Amino acid sequence: MWIRKRRGWEISESAATPEHVFRGRRRFLRGAAGLALAPALLACEKEAGAQGDGELAEVDPSAGLYPFERNARYELDRELTPEADATSYNNYYEFGTSKNIVKAAQKLPIRPWALTIEGMVEQPLTIDIDDLMKRMPLEERLYRHRCVEAWAMAVPWSGFPLAALVELAKPASDAKFLRFESFLMPEVADGQSEPWYPWPYVEGLTLAEATNELAFMVTGMYGKPAPKQNGAPLRLALPWKYGFKSSKGIQRIVFTAEQPVGLWQAIQGSEYGFYANVNPAFAHPRWSQESERLLGSGDRVPTQIYNGYGEFVAQLYPDQNDRRYFY
Amino acid sequence: MYPWLDRSGRVSGLKLSVFLALLLPGAWIAVAWAFATPDPAAGGLIAGAVTSATDAMPVTKALHEIGLWTVRFLILTLAITPLRRLAAWPALVQIRRMVGVAAFAYAAAHFFLYVVQQNYRFGFVASEIVLRFYLALGFVTLLGLSVLALTSTDRAMRRLGGKTWQRLHYLVYPFTALGLWHFFLQSKIDVSEPVLMSGLFIWLMLYRLAYRWNGEKSLALWHLLTLACASGALAMAGEWAWYEAMTTLGGSRVFAANFSLAAGLRPAWWVLIAGLAMALLKLIADHGWGRNRAAARTRAAA
Repeated sequence: MWIRKRRGWEISESAATPEHVFRGRRRFLRGAAGLALAPALLACEKEAGAQGDGELAEVDPSAGLYPFERNARYELDRELTPEADATSYNNYYEFGTSKNIVKAAQKLPIRPWALTIEGMVEQPLTIDIDDLMKRMPLEERLYRHRCVEAWAMAVPWSGFPLAALVELAKPASDAKFLRFESFLMPEVADGQSEPWYPWPYVEGLTLAEATNELAFMVTGMYGKPAPKQNGAPLRLALPWKYGFKSSKGIQRIVFTAEQPVGLWQAIQGSEYGFYANVNPAFAHPRWSQESERLLGSGDRVPTQIYNGYGEFVAQLYPDQNDRRYFY
Repeated sequence: MYPWLDRSGRVSGLKLSVFLALLLPGAWIAVAWAFATPDPAAGGLIAGAVTSATDAMPVTKALHEIGLWTVRFLILTLAITPLRRLAAWPALVQIRRMVGVAAFAYAAAHFFLYVVQQNYRFGFVASEIVLRFYLALGFVTLLGLSVLALTSTDRAMRRLGGKTWQRLHYLVYPFTALGLWHFFLQSKIDVSEPVLMSGLFIWLMLYRLAYRWNGEKSLALWHLLTLACASGALAMAGEWAWYEAMTTLGGSRVFAANFSLAAGLRPAWWVLIAGLAMALLKLIADHGWGRNRAAARTRAAA
């Protein structure tokens, strides 16, 4: 259930300035203040977080923080995927089974948004996404993203290392796994009315994977807050694993001693496993994983083991020939 | 001879409209592909009007849609004969070949798009067909349909002789079944559409069996009502069995969804509805236009 707790500084929606008045005032000011001030005003407008498509603009208090400083340690071997492609071709079964869920996803309310951390931790906590961002080391990283369906993209993600969040949570010594749970709002997410998917979306990592430097919590992309269809306001980016491991719309992280069962693993365990590390040597039961088609250009490039991130993560997995780690 | 001409060489309204209707899905998919753009604004008004879609992978999308229409046309091909009999509309036989050949053409386009999606790596495509069972099924179906399409000309019919030709073309039943199996196996988890198509296929096959058992006499209303219920029930049971056997999800959740409207009407009910519609068609034809048509024919003959 979605419990809306209003804090002191939040005003009711009816008290907010209507959008047309807001925009009208901006236009007036822009005209009056002349060219010199225009860039600053545009930045303000961006802060309003207008998502388009006729949806009510939600205020994203963190929008002004973007773009984050790029961490040069993570380099790409290919061009960035055009933003329009990365933000319009989305697997998000909560909003339907097609790739074209942009419109449906706009119904998801993403502010206020609380993240709950619980389970085997010293101090369970629930924290507002914008408060959380203030406490996390924000940065931008360029990552490859490889979907299990053999398409791929390269995206500038904005966010913070998952390791920093684990540190904040202070896991108990017997915690071995993290279970990520996404939102459950069948009233806005039509796909969640389909009763045969065991919603909410669940994914999991070992603690060692979660504290690996590559594991990244994402709040934005392309130097802006992430669009809803890409998993706003909080998602994972695990570039060495198939894309379904990188949950979207995360609301709860549970530290646990038991290996979590992901949603795809629960419904089709023979095709989607727990580790799901990228490896061209192990075919999906229905197709080869030897190569991938790039979003946008349609070019086909060879797939690399661990999606090319072996130097960071190979030591996490004892056996490179054990299929268990690669589906 | 053009597909829109009748035997006497005149333009047939029926054949022409069916011919155009068969082209429509392909044309629509082609146009949507041509205007596919990740940014609706970039394509301008036309793109916005033609596709609500923004699509970064237009080939994959077209591939899946053409495949879906292949199955639909196969089912439609098999529905012509029952429709013709139940509606007492013998002229329908004129369009059967056209619909069947269209199914083959869509299957061929579907295969071609797969080759495009694999960036024309023919050797790789061949190895994938051998390695992945569902692709092997699809390819065998395509080969089978191409044999049927090639032997669908008047000349081939004459050369083979009526009986041999008929026996050969009975193969459309097993090939449709293979195509449906391919359709099931390629699905990620949701097999609603394959269940729907298979349920209709079950009705079509049960109808033929019943017609034969009935000494090739037209079926009574109660026969048709039984067929409708039986094919709906088989579709529901089949769907349960599929999820039970092929997924870790199990069949019970999906089975239970049949009795809730939360996710809309499940495919087994649509199969039942289609079966009941056929019964209704017979009812109307028997009491209305069937007799009028017969009367018109008698008048024309006189």
